[in-house]
Amino acid sequence: MKIFIMPPNSLILYDLVERFGHQPLSIMAELRDRVTEREMESPPLNVTLKDVTKGLKYAGIEVPSGVRGRMAVWGPLVDEAEAAIIMHNTPFTFGCVGCHRTNLLLMHRIRKKKIPTLEVEYPEDEEEGKIMVTKIKAFLEGLK
Amino acid sequence: MIMIAPTSELTPDQLARFIHGLGYEITIKETCYGANIEGDKELIGKIVPEVRKLDPNRIFIKVRAYPIGDERRCRAHHGSRPGFNQMEKEWKDLPFIEAGLCAAEGGEECPEKPPRRKLSVEKLMQIAEEDNR
Repeated sequence: MKIFIMPPNSLILYDLVERFGHQPLSIMAELRDRVTEREMESPPLNVTLKDVTKGLKYAGIEVPSGVRGRMAVWGPLVDEAEAAIIMHNTPFTFGCVGCHRTNLLLMHRIRKKKIPTLEVEYPEDEEEGKIMVTKIKAFLEGLK
Repeated sequence: MIMIAPTSELTPDQLARFIHGLGYEITIKETCYGANIEGDKELIGKIVPEVRKLDPNRIFIKVRAYPIGDERRCRAHHGSRPGFNQMEKEWKDLPFIEAGLCAAEGGEECPEKPPRRKLSVEKLMQIAEEDNR
């Protein structure tokens, strides 16, 4: 099954989803197509004008362009997803995944889609790591 | 992108040599955290399970957006590395995930901690009165 992970660039979630036999939907794979197959106008920016227009499907015109730009990439992934795993309180949500409003909008869309969703906390010690991994394993095995 | 957990005894050099030894026609780059591999999807699909076997619970793999040596990201070309802080944090926390994977393998039950209760007004008043004495 196609599992949307949040944060969408998390190594931990990507690995666990793949390890337990599912296909993770991540921004890395999405952006890989963009940075390798398309000629980008300004290399560090991975979103084109066309993408921002596409983002209008997920966020209104009055919403900041950064949110729309992100949603243009992440929105279609949520549409494609058959299940989702959300990791809360990740200490590294800055940079490309640091827009809190986009993250809230993304969580709203996932919940609204009513797909099987697991919400876990980012582990701070081994005990929490055990809780998180066993929960994810049980969730992913239950999807088969 | 192949990342070795800090608790693993495997070195990036050993990992890169092992992948080279498999003899597939792919590009391999040894890095400080592990290795990056690039090539035909089918070949990568064959290599990944082999690599995991080296140290199953201490090797973590994900897809990387930029190709190996891309000028926009490669340090040799002074590329920006916006994802570094995240990778560093996740790398440090991989031992927690390793513990989780070992627990899941062993069928260990990990009951969730009860959520923290809010401090009641009565308790707060009691603390305040104790402090005043």
